[in-house]
Amino acid sequence: MDRPVIGPVNRPVIGPALRAAGLVALLSAVPLGAAAHQLVVFASVDCEVVLVEARFSSGAVARLGEVRVLDGSNTLLTTLQLNSDGTLRIPLDSVDHSTGLVIEVDTGSHDNYWIVTPDDIVRNCGS
Amino acid sequence: MFPRLIRTAAVAACLTLAGVATAQDRATVVAVNYPLQSFASHLLGPEAEVVYPVPDGVDPSFWRPAIADISLVQSADLILLSGAGFAGWVERVTLPRARVADTSRAYQDRFITTQTITHSHGAGGAHSHEGLASYTWLDPSLAIAQAEAVAAAITARDLAPAEDVAARLDTLRADLQALDAEARAALTAAQGVPLIATHPRYQYLARAYGLQIGALEWDAGAMPTGAELDALWKLAGETGAKVLLWEAEPPAEAIEAVTALGLHSVTFPPLAVPPGEAGFAGSFRQSVAALAAAVEKATAD
Repeated sequence: MDRPVIGPVNRPVIGPALRAAGLVALLSAVPLGAAAHQLVVFASVDCEVVLVEARFSSGAVARLGEVRVLDGSNTLLTTLQLNSDGTLRIPLDSVDHSTGLVIEVDTGSHDNYWIVTPDDIVRNCGS
Repeated sequence: MFPRLIRTAAVAACLTLAGVATAQDRATVVAVNYPLQSFASHLLGPEAEVVYPVPDGVDPSFWRPAIADISLVQSADLILLSGAGFAGWVERVTLPRARVADTSRAYQDRFITTQTITHSHGAGGAHSHEGLASYTWLDPSLAIAQAEAVAAAITARDLAPAEDVAARLDTLRADLQALDAEARAALTAAQGVPLIATHPRYQYLARAYGLQIGALEWDAGAMPTGAELDALWKLAGETGAKVLLWEAEPPAEAIEAVTALGLHSVTFPPLAVPPGEAGFAGSFRQSVAALAAAVEKATAD
């Protein structure tokens, strides 16, 4: 039996795939936060570089990916590419890190980020 | 119970960045969600400022903090995490380990594992990831365990006199135990009655009280699309559910559309965000009463 329609009539037509998606949602009951952990990004910092590491939660390294570096105002400072071993070294003197850095990694299918605060930089520089 | 003033203060603290906590007379405690803010505020009394740093209208599960927010968190005297995968941002920053308390560590064996989406990337082929249901506090027995963990963390760091914290914990524990007993009595008739939720938030509530709650993936408080209503219609037909739990008050038009499908609507805030004046226990109590009433109507249909 068709669903009784109330309200806007120009809703999208429902296809089998969408119905299936509803059922998947029922059966899986996935908190989206869990699904967001599929790409793991980590950035450590010393006095000279930010070392970015990206791998999937399976343990496999992310061999390809775009790395976006943003400052504390969310302004894009630079865009770089991951190395084939899933790492990237960003010289600190190549970016204005005075307000901290946000490191975003996007592999195309997954993305995630790491936040480096000014305190992180100072602390790891031994000052 | 926990005025917005606290969050306003948090924003102000963000602006002044690091060193705030040590510069104030009172200690600063950061809580990643409302239940922890609620419990910590009760347990600390006037001894410390408890900050819930997530802006209004933002789901704390998916909040992406700014660098200044993290500077505030890093400078806090105590950082209360909820565990069970709640608040993914805590895994994307460096937190001072000595000042972090995972408040669900004691009951990790009671976490509910969820299946996840199967997909593929790279050469790894199709695969899936397991997840955890995060809203543990909707089982009051786990909320009690979480409150106990907060009390222990406060006492261990000497943020308030131990005897005061212990006395406040006794009160809080008694309140939560009473809440649990009330909910158990109110929801007895709901056991085995199929229910549907607009979002998968209620796994621990369901387990605690023997409820059968299927879940959709609707946006909180939004008008469902035609596709979403179709999915609800299909699911209700398959399960026989006549009650729909909304995590936030939906538009009147949404209620109307769901009513037309033969379902009774209940707004049951899962309490990750502050519920307003009602507070944790008050909001939970109201939601349980509304759910019990809806189930009664549905079974009488």
